[in-house]
Amino acid sequence: GDSWGIFTFLCAALCNLPALPALNCSEELGAGQSIQQTYDLTRYLEHQLRTLAGTYLNYLGPPFNEPDFNPPRLARAERVPSATVDLDLWRGLTDNARLAANYRAYSRLLCYLRVLDGQVGTAELRHRLAHFCASLQGLVLSIGGVMSSLGYPLPTGPAGTPAPPGVPAAPNDFLKKMDDFWLLKELQTWLWRSAKDFNRLKKKVPPAVVTLRLEARGF
Amino acid sequence: DSHTQYERVGADVTMKCGSMDWDAAVTWTANGTDIDESHLNGSYLVLKNVDLSQSGQYSCYEGSSWHLKYQTFLRVGTPPKEPVLMCRSNNYPKGFYCSWHLPTPTYIPNSFNISVIHGTKDMVCEKDAIPKNRCHIRYLQLFSTVKYKVTLTVTNALGKNFTTLTFDEFAIVKPDPPESVVARPVPNNPRRLEVSWQNPSSWPDPESFPLKFFLRYRPLILDQWQHVELSDGTSHTITDAYAGKEYIIQVAAKDNDIGTWSDWSVAVHATPWTEEPKHLTTEAQITETTSASTSSFMAPPTTKICDKGAVVGSGAMTVCWTAGLVVAAYSVLFI
Repeated sequence: GDSWGIFTFLCAALCNLPALPALNCSEELGAGQSIQQTYDLTRYLEHQLRTLAGTYLNYLGPPFNEPDFNPPRLARAERVPSATVDLDLWRGLTDNARLAANYRAYSRLLCYLRVLDGQVGTAELRHRLAHFCASLQGLVLSIGGVMSSLGYPLPTGPAGTPAPPGVPAAPNDFLKKMDDFWLLKELQTWLWRSAKDFNRLKKKVPPAVVTLRLEARGF
Repeated sequence: DSHTQYERVGADVTMKCGSMDWDAAVTWTANGTDIDESHLNGSYLVLKNVDLSQSGQYSCYEGSSWHLKYQTFLRVGTPPKEPVLMCRSNNYPKGFYCSWHLPTPTYIPNSFNISVIHGTKDMVCEKDAIPKNRCHIRYLQLFSTVKYKVTLTVTNALGKNFTTLTFDEFAIVKPDPPESVVARPVPNNPRRLEVSWQNPSSWPDPESFPLKFFLRYRPLILDQWQHVELSDGTSHTITDAYAGKEYIIQVAAKDNDIGTWSDWSVAVHATPWTEEPKHLTTEAQITETTSASTSSFMAPPTTKICDKGAVVGSGAMTVCWTAGLVVAAYSVLFI
């Protein structure tokens, strides 16, 4: 059931990637529709995350799985760009900047989740994480697809490397768990933010934009 | 000389006559009424197990001269119970407000102090003039991963109490109900009702933060509601209303992605369009002032449906067409 949903999304997302000059798929789909699909995917992931986070926090044990757990943010290097942003700044983001911020964030988050996947104990957790990573991969591809169909360059970065340099490993077990806690929190917040990001993009990018850009490129 | 004395319900109260000695001769009055000597312990007034009705002004007079020596304003009350605190964002993404009240009255003056902490930062919750027990905060940042911690402390002369709320930015989003809900019958459509409404005026940015809506409706005579969820637009046409029955309709709103549903809007009532006897209108009559007029003429049923004089709308044409089909179907049957 769920796997078919992901498969469909992945296909649609892949379809949006620029193979070569012939952007056949996106011509037909239109940037507007891919934005809608990306939006839908963030909602799906947000829903999936709720179950995943619940299971994972229980695995970490107290106090991480307590609903009122509200720890201070430790002064460790922030691994993932935070979703938190000044309101006026967020409003003023260009479409390119908005999409790029999402792309970068989810690429890094996917990276870290994959590392997590290699470490967790229970089979159930591994299964859930793997499933989630697959969906998250689809989201990254989907965002990339939207960016390409709008003519924006994909942000470069060490999206592939498992442990980006400059971030020391946690010195003890408790701090490692704290890192995991904040990772899930940041992921959750990004998914909430993305829904709003893509809402804004939906309104601002009509499908007609795609054909204009293609003409400008001389295709 | 005077002062106010606060005491708990059920306490034993001793009131002194200012700086007078214990063995001085004094008389006490309560709100002007003399108090019996049995309540006196020397010059002290003793009230055992006080209740709320004993609040008032107690005055003591020097025995012989009837000189007013001291006045005590006694206020009987209770220390505050844990206050009830609620925080809500009905104007996302601008900010949120918190409002509070005491579950039971204390009968004496209380003061409230509210503190809001976001991570390590202290934020100021600006108190509203009206209503009094309310304050609001503007968000400095959006999409925060750190929770907000709101602590409300209530203090009075007899004690203090407090309560704390901790929440994520997204969890408290709850819009106000939709406004200006209007339900209208649709001419020539006995099973339709057209409902329209507006975004709540407190929601500042429906463009970037669109709302979705939940409509519920039922005929007054039934208990079961029917529901429709609408992700777009501020109107909807009900197409399965029971002909001629009065309906009650309500709408609720929610941010498309986060938070909870608003309360239900004010209920509106509407009855679908029903056929009425046709009025004869001539050129002369059209210029007359429109007032309810009884028709003295009722068109024969067969011409009523496809009456050219009737309001020409797509509805009328559809009925005409349908009637034609029905007639054709029956005639085929009888051939």
